[in-house]
Amino acid sequence: MMDKIVDPKDFDYHGPALDTVFETYQELRGKCPVGHSEKHGGFWFLTRNEDIFAAEQDPATFAVSPSMLMPAFGTDVPLIPIDIDPPEHTDYRRVLLPLFTPRAVAKLNDGMHETARKLAEAVAEGEVVDASALFARPMPTIIFSRLAGFPEKDWPMFDQWIDDIIYERTDNPERAYKAGSEVMDYFDELLKSREGMPKQDDLIEILTTAEVNGRKLTHDELLSYCYLLFLAGLDTTAWAIRSSLWYLAQNPVAQKQLREDRTLIPAAVEEFLRTLSPVQGMARTCQKDTVVSGQEIKEGDRVVLVFGAGNRDPEAYTDPDEILIDRPNNRHLAFGAGIHRCLGSNLGRQEVVVALEEFLGVVDEFSLAEQDQAWHGVGPLMLKIGG
Amino acid sequence: MVTLSVDNTRCQGHARCLAFAPEVFDFDDEGYAFVPEDKQIWDELPEDVKQAVANCPERAIVVSESSPS
Repeated sequence: MMDKIVDPKDFDYHGPALDTVFETYQELRGKCPVGHSEKHGGFWFLTRNEDIFAAEQDPATFAVSPSMLMPAFGTDVPLIPIDIDPPEHTDYRRVLLPLFTPRAVAKLNDGMHETARKLAEAVAEGEVVDASALFARPMPTIIFSRLAGFPEKDWPMFDQWIDDIIYERTDNPERAYKAGSEVMDYFDELLKSREGMPKQDDLIEILTTAEVNGRKLTHDELLSYCYLLFLAGLDTTAWAIRSSLWYLAQNPVAQKQLREDRTLIPAAVEEFLRTLSPVQGMARTCQKDTVVSGQEIKEGDRVVLVFGAGNRDPEAYTDPDEILIDRPNNRHLAFGAGIHRCLGSNLGRQEVVVALEEFLGVVDEFSLAEQDQAWHGVGPLMLKIGG
Repeated sequence: MVTLSVDNTRCQGHARCLAFAPEVFDFDDEGYAFVPEDKQIWDELPEDVKQAVANCPERAIVVSESSPS
């Protein structure tokens, strides 16, 4: 038991630390709702739901510059729009908003179902299968890449880049930066290949024709957008689908309930997002001396909003660590809040809902084929299919 | 009587209200929510609207008491 006790100065929310991060949150909450870690150059961490919400509503104090990603996602280029503060942020974000409204996402629904069903059918044929590699990862890759305009021939390269950039960056930043530069080169070429081409119906077309403050976006700005969309559109959704399946594989009652009544799935997805959030924390930089829950924070200090902890805060939820698929009041922080609310949240939510609808519709009762598989990440999820 | 509205300085387009009460909330082209004029005044709020209020991540849905004039 002793090895589970985390000193606030060692607090991290990446890699192996995620194995026991929910126990860590419980402990830290009792010790210090706002604490200081020495990891990643040093940062304050906020674990209370209210404190995180308040910080997100106050971007003038809690700015995203130089980056909300900590450590860096394989590049030091500020990513548009998440690493940009107001006033520039507003116009950068507005370019993409119409593409991710509920109405825009609804148009993708049929394609989503078809893609998810085909992938689920491959899962259903096996006895022991990696549902992450066969389903949770390819579904968002296919859906988002089609929407964005990333050519199908390039998709096989994507998973490795994401693994290197997002999952290797804490232990192996060189690998993350190497992959980051390959991804930048890839989009550099893709953007150049689109010049003079007939108009297409995808995000790249929207970006290349968009105007911000009466001017077109520069090549560097376009690269930054593409880089962010690539990482944001593929990885988090895969995590959310995988972690939902991870939970259902161990909870046959919940699995049966959702299988028998698909209308319960959207509420269940909210609960999986709350308790198994793909984004456990995002960083800010304090712009002036301030106080959070009694703790002084100085101008220039880095601050991490630990969404994963806020989402299990007993001040905000009854039995916060219980996963209740029909939890009625479920205002959570999985997509953040305030001006940097996850731009793709409507798309991401719908993808996870459709993924579970099709998976449960096509695949027989399933359980974990191996015990002790991580709840987090996008690594293998070995499932045993059939009773 | 109560008046229902969305505070457009707080709404960030999460669209949770649409999930709970699609017959009451509408959205502009950028995905921000609003309550159409004919859905603003209620004798009593329906249960699904109350759920939308409770689940709004930005706490942007405003319910104010109004006396009939």
